[in-house]
Amino acid sequence: MQKQEMRQGINDSIPIILGYLPLGFAFGVLANEAGMSIIQATMMSALCFTGAGQYIALGIMQAGGAVFTIILANVLVNLRYLLFSTSLVPYFKGQVPTAAGSLLSYGLTDETYAVSMNRYQSHPPTVSYIAGLYLSSHTGWITSTLLGATLGAYITNPDRLGLNFTLPAMFICLLVFMTRRKSDVFVALSSAFLCLLIGYLAPSTMGNLFNIIIATIIAASLGMLINEQH
Amino acid sequence: MNSTSIWIMIIGVSIVSILPRILPVALLSRYEFPAPLKKWLSFVAPAVLSSLTALSVLAPGGNIDISINNSYIWAFIPTLLISVKTRSLFYGLLAGIITMAVLYNFIF
Repeated sequence: MQKQEMRQGINDSIPIILGYLPLGFAFGVLANEAGMSIIQATMMSALCFTGAGQYIALGIMQAGGAVFTIILANVLVNLRYLLFSTSLVPYFKGQVPTAAGSLLSYGLTDETYAVSMNRYQSHPPTVSYIAGLYLSSHTGWITSTLLGATLGAYITNPDRLGLNFTLPAMFICLLVFMTRRKSDVFVALSSAFLCLLIGYLAPSTMGNLFNIIIATIIAASLGMLINEQH
Repeated sequence: MNSTSIWIMIIGVSIVSILPRILPVALLSRYEFPAPLKKWLSFVAPAVLSSLTALSVLAPGGNIDISINNSYIWAFIPTLLISVKTRSLFYGLLAGIITMAVLYNFIF
């Protein structure tokens, strides 16, 4: 373990945890309302670590849906991680042992992906960095769920603090840092446009996040064409 | 939903959310990707980030809301300007969070 790398990972997780706080908290509160115990809500955050998927589970539970429906919806929502994880493989090669990389990938989320990819543009990945970033983010998610499930009734609106904008703000900043090549800007704009267009034309994709997958695949392919011509 | 069903649901969701994250790293690491695939994959991060940004700002409640009443769009502007200007995540976040807090408490 390299202390410096791990510390850097933990440092980089601070904005993520700040953003998870209101989201995990709200999940804890809502899970309670949907009939989950404090232990179940907290364990779900520990075992699943999939914000969108967990919220969808609550929605289906409250609509009286079946366990099978929840799992199927989660298959769709989590498919995007296939893309994320695959795009990390070239970075891990020769830097991160496969066993450690696979195990730690448990902690791969939209946010940890965004932050770590930004880091890998200038520093090679290390097991210590990934462990620091992922485990600390995951701990934040679990803790905020526990807080929400136990203290939910006592806390009034956390939106007053503006924390609901933490994750959007983080995505904006990381997007700015990561679009270096002209082709990146083109890919990013196409992807944003396609994602909204698909969500507009097929509203169900807004819920299962399939619009992200389709937009990413098309936009990345467009990037290849653009690049080819130069 | 009873307690047993909830536990089954949690374990099921856990499996389907963990597998797609772990399997590519576990199974594909021993292969050397061809150059065009590597190039294609290098566009995945900007594309994903951009989609996430678009959704989180233009559809904060899960439905697309492109109007002056969407406070996320207003908070987007200073966040973008500050992050381009300073190239700092810290100041970018600060700009966004403060703007959102001000909008929430005094305007919307």
